[in-house]
Amino acid sequence: MSDVLLQIKNLYAGIAEDEKEIIKGLNLEIKAGEIHAVMGPNGAGKSTLSYVLTGKPDYEVTSGEVFFNDKDLLRLAPNERACEGLFLSMQYPVAITGVTTNNFLKHAINAQRKYKGLPELDAAEFLKLIRGAAKEFNISSEMLKREINVGFSGGEKKRLEILQLSLLQPKLAILDEADSGLDIDALRTVAEGVNKWHNQNNALLIITHHLDLLNYIRPDFVHIYADGHIVKSGSMQLAEDLEANGYKNYLEE
Amino acid sequence: MSLLQNINLWGDDIPYLSGLREKNRISFEKRGLPDSKTEDWRFSYFKQDDMQNPVIDNEPIKCEGHCHSNDKLPFNALQIRYCNGKLHIEDWNLPNGVVIKSLIEAVYDGDIKSYLNKSFNPDDFPFAALNGAYLEQGLFILIERGTVLSEPLYIKYHNSADKNRLCNIRNTVVAENGAKATVIEHFCAEENAVYTQNVVNEIFVGNNAELNHYVWQNEAKSAHHISLNSVQVKSGGNYSAFCANGTCKFSRYESYVRLLQSGAAAEINGVYKLSETEQVCDITTNIRHLSPHTYSNQLVKGVAKVRAKGVFQGQIHIAPDAQQCEGHQLHRALLLNDGAEIDCKPELEVFADDVKCSHGASSGDLDKEQIFYMQARGISEDEARKILVDAYLNEVFALNKNPDISEWIKEQF
Ligand SMILES: Nc1ncnc2c1ncn2[C@@H]1O[C@H](COP(=O)(O)OP(=O)(O)OP(=O)(O)O)[C@@H](O)[C@H]1O
Ligand SMILES: [Mg+2]
Repeated sequence: MSDVLLQIKNLYAGIAEDEKEIIKGLNLEIKAGEIHAVMGPNGAGKSTLSYVLTGKPDYEVTSGEVFFNDKDLLRLAPNERACEGLFLSMQYPVAITGVTTNNFLKHAINAQRKYKGLPELDAAEFLKLIRGAAKEFNISSEMLKREINVGFSGGEKKRLEILQLSLLQPKLAILDEADSGLDIDALRTVAEGVNKWHNQNNALLIITHHLDLLNYIRPDFVHIYADGHIVKSGSMQLAEDLEANGYKNYLEE
Repeated sequence: MSLLQNINLWGDDIPYLSGLREKNRISFEKRGLPDSKTEDWRFSYFKQDDMQNPVIDNEPIKCEGHCHSNDKLPFNALQIRYCNGKLHIEDWNLPNGVVIKSLIEAVYDGDIKSYLNKSFNPDDFPFAALNGAYLEQGLFILIERGTVLSEPLYIKYHNSADKNRLCNIRNTVVAENGAKATVIEHFCAEENAVYTQNVVNEIFVGNNAELNHYVWQNEAKSAHHISLNSVQVKSGGNYSAFCANGTCKFSRYESYVRLLQSGAAAEINGVYKLSETEQVCDITTNIRHLSPHTYSNQLVKGVAKVRAKGVFQGQIHIAPDAQQCEGHQLHRALLLNDGAEIDCKPELEVFADDVKCSHGASSGDLDKEQIFYMQARGISEDEARKILVDAYLNEVFALNKNPDISEWIKEQF
């Protein structure tokens, strides 16, 4: 096995229902142990990329290839991608009435365990696992009893996404604006949680508009993403330059 | 074969009883089975042929123990059984303040007379009239004044596959003033059984009495199930019903509730889950607010796929001068594919002006964003759909007052 976790080759994708192309010729390689940051103007297609990778049915790949762990990612169902170790912290986590957070997490953990051939956790084992993790992310047992993301504040939703990251221990995590709406303390909690998970065997793709999170989680690479592909790649220096000067130097006419 | 047959029944020698049978027989003869032109039945009528010439037998009970299978309940209950439509007379270990006997015994003793066939007009309910023409099998349950039952009464109806029967069962349940009780009806059968269950419950809730009624219709796939729950509630009394409907080919759960005096309240909630082609499940309610300050609430949620059909007809009637009543009703359905059908007919008949009434209906599909969110966490699409369907129906289960009973039904539903 190579140490390349994710390889995107000349990817074109758009909305399944119309002809509109959003991702236009994207190339990206992420190796185990690396942290990549993607920055780009609103509407550039960053969230679309995260959805195409995780297999949301609204989007359609028109050409290109994606390999994840040497597997042809685009041929896997969304849940198989997750079970293979791909995780997305969503920009807008979805509320589900009637399903408690506890229940949701239990289903998710057990689905992934089943996929890996591990026995499912029983109620007691699950409770033990969840209690420890929830504490770390400042999530109360009341919140776990509530319906998932229903009426949660913006920050609570994002903390819950990272709690899921820490419970599911993926190989590659995409954080789509995991920092938006977080107060100063929550930002640190989230960053610490991510750093604790991150090691030489997994990798991270951070989509963000600000330096705040990147100051806690130092990226090895920063990519500027505009009009459906990467227009420039560099180091943390590039992100700092963007913060100072904006995108004007990088956008094509 | 005619559904009205000349067979000898227990108690033919009692003029009172044979008179009631005759009255119902005439009612049924006049109208026959409902058809597509019968207003109350036009969404869900079925042809007599569908019943495939059922046997109406007058033989004594022959129980081979089938009805005792799967009897482990996760809660304590006083258990009563019907086997192929015949009541098991057993030595029920009755707590103080409770009378339970067979319909025939109660007719001989006379204590059923002020209740039997008193709560509705057989002309309006064709199957109940048919049921009345064969008045024989049934229970008389009396919860005496002020008696609070700590354990529910669990009534199990079991049918076996040996014969296609039409089972006419008439239960009379009386909660006297201040009494409190929970009654569970559980309908089940051998897998291949073909039969028609035709049950009528006459329920009398006294002043400040409380009756909680759970109905779990888990009949065999090829069965027909028709039930009428005819209820009267007196001052300050409370009737709560929950029905879970699913498995059988044709079912109709009908609730006819009369709120007679001030402070009377009724709640009718239900769920249905249909997954067989051509399956029909009908929930029909008629709540009649006959006095001021009476309250009712209904929440019915269903899920239908393939070419199944769900029907909800809900009537709220508020009589002239029945001021300051509240009557609310909501029906929601999930149609999981294009072939499924939902017919919903809400009807408000309001003759008083100072009342609060509402009704609502909606139908839709599962939320794609929710399915994807679950998939993105590793849950398969099928599993995600199942979780969402359960969550959808859970809103109704959550209203149940007895969590043990509710959970027991939910887990197997
Ligand atoms: N399902 C969809 N239907 C219609 N248009 C869509 C859909 N998904 C994305 N788009 C459009 O595609 C473009 C890219 O959207 P996307 O959400 O990927 O941008 P983004 O880079 O994540 O922006 P932001 O920084 O604001 O989050 C936008 O113009 C958006 O309106
Ligand atoms: Mg976005």
